[in-house]
Amino acid sequence: MPANEILALAMFAAFIGLVFTGFPVAWILAGLAVLFTALAIVLEVDFGLPIGVDWAYASISVERIWNVMENWVMVALPMFVFMGLMLDRAGIAERLMANFARLFGPLPGGLAVAIALIGVLLAATTGIIGAAVVLLALLGLPAMLRQGYQPSLAAGTVCAVGTLGILIPPSIMLVLMADRMAMPVGDLFLGAVGPGLLLSGLYVAYLFGHGFVKPDAAPPTAATVPLNWAALWELAVAVVPPAALILAVLGSIFFGVATPTEAAGVGAAGAMALAAANKALDRRVLAEVVRETTRTTAFIMGVLVGATAFSLVLRGLGGDALIERALLDLPFGPAGVVMAILLATFLLGFFLDWIELTLIILPLVSPVVAQLGFDPVWFTVLFAVCLQTSFLTPPVGFAIFYLKRVAPAGVDAPVIYRGVVPFILLQLLGLAIIFHWQALVTWLPGQAY
Amino acid sequence: MELPHTAFSRAAERLLVAIGNAASWLWVALLAVIVGNVVLRYAFGEGRIELEEIQWHLYSAGFMLGLGYALQADAHVRVDVLHARWRPSTQAWLELYGIALFLLPFVALMLVYGARFVADSLATGEVSASPGGLPHRWAIKAVLVLGFGLLGLAAAARLTRLVKFLLRADAEGARSRAGR
Repeated sequence: MPANEILALAMFAAFIGLVFTGFPVAWILAGLAVLFTALAIVLEVDFGLPIGVDWAYASISVERIWNVMENWVMVALPMFVFMGLMLDRAGIAERLMANFARLFGPLPGGLAVAIALIGVLLAATTGIIGAAVVLLALLGLPAMLRQGYQPSLAAGTVCAVGTLGILIPPSIMLVLMADRMAMPVGDLFLGAVGPGLLLSGLYVAYLFGHGFVKPDAAPPTAATVPLNWAALWELAVAVVPPAALILAVLGSIFFGVATPTEAAGVGAAGAMALAAANKALDRRVLAEVVRETTRTTAFIMGVLVGATAFSLVLRGLGGDALIERALLDLPFGPAGVVMAILLATFLLGFFLDWIELTLIILPLVSPVVAQLGFDPVWFTVLFAVCLQTSFLTPPVGFAIFYLKRVAPAGVDAPVIYRGVVPFILLQLLGLAIIFHWQALVTWLPGQAY
Repeated sequence: MELPHTAFSRAAERLLVAIGNAASWLWVALLAVIVGNVVLRYAFGEGRIELEEIQWHLYSAGFMLGLGYALQADAHVRVDVLHARWRPSTQAWLELYGIALFLLPFVALMLVYGARFVADSLATGEVSASPGGLPHRWAIKAVLVLGFGLLGLAAAARLTRLVKFLLRADAEGARSRAGR
């Protein structure tokens, strides 16, 4: 093996090893780019090995970062972050919880279904997994436990629904993925709608089914409030605004009325209007939201900056070609190669966040998938569902990790592990369905504009 | 891990927070420009190139000026599976090495080559390639250098805090050994 490829492998291995030091991932990536450039120069100058990476080459990262800065599509990212944070402050989640609980509470399994629907409706607010799981855990877990739900079922529901938010558009993850794959954000959003609905449908069916078969695990509320017009009106008042906002963002992209950037900006303005209507908007709240938007955007863009430098040097060392050759040499046939990639992603998802996986792994494997003749939108959605599954999987899934931090007494690690198992099976079923019926992803983007 | 402040870190972080808080209002400006552009396009049938360019100017200024702000607030993503179980002094040592060997060299690289990048733009009097685009391209390119400068400042401030923390932990260790 040539010296440069050994360096490329060492660089990748160093990254995997060093993330466990707990130093910010963005700056591990950036620092490795500098370190391996220096190493390449030493090997070339002092040992006469032809490697071909030097400071002039590494400095191209300045231009790459500039390309990120002048990228108009990426403007959507902070606007969706802003929209999510603003909806979170607007108190919409609490109102939805109260109304859905009244509607579904009298059914066995109904309260868990309510949590699932809230997760889907608030997907826009929950682009960051940790935030989604914490929000749903604080909102829904105590309510379910009070009603006598089996703790493992309640915990599993919160974890699964919390991770669904990263998949359901408008999602920050999809904006970043589309950018890395050089595909229209709108296509990816629309491609994710079918799988998002499929997975939420599977969850709802499972929860109602579970409640039907074993009512003791998911009992209905004892005190049934009669469903009258006043209650329905209140429900509509709670559900329509956030639903309309999400549909407006998606619909304007679908009909080609607005670009994703414009849809994000208008969505952010809409979230502000909603907060104002709920009397939750003042100068202090706005200041908090914009500051949090800066910090969240900066940490995502920080990883993007680090990954830009890292990927550049890795490519200079021949790492891309190495991975491509290794994948194409796998003796499984095209579908087998895709499965191998998904399995590797699943395993990496145990300790890496979606940001790193999207920015480092996705660009490495996507040329291979394109060469094999697969639809890039379909593959990216599969990749996203696979990541989401991995965040659910014990013992190290991110969702479990965040839930453990905020879970009330009686909901400890073994309870959570037991709870997520059925949802992992549902995810695998969903993955298989998406794998077989590509039209589930590709149909909607094909109808748009 | 609660880090003590130094005179330098206090001053530096006050500056970083002031800049970050001020830059955060750029998001409201961005939102207004996007909505304004959409309204213009539908009301008068004309989208404006300069308004689109202002949008990415605001976005890139917002995140570049935020890099140091996020470091100061310790908001950058970490993998803390193992990290959380280690002693504070181990965590501090790792962070010290990380800043000195990884973050600061990268910032230095970006500053050296970023400065040339801005100088080239200024020397050629670069303007937007699109008709009706914004002039003075060097100004927004300079934000890249400014952003990495602030990131370096935040890193340096944190470095002094880590050193103080480790020296203090060392002194306490020596005292407890002497007292035994």
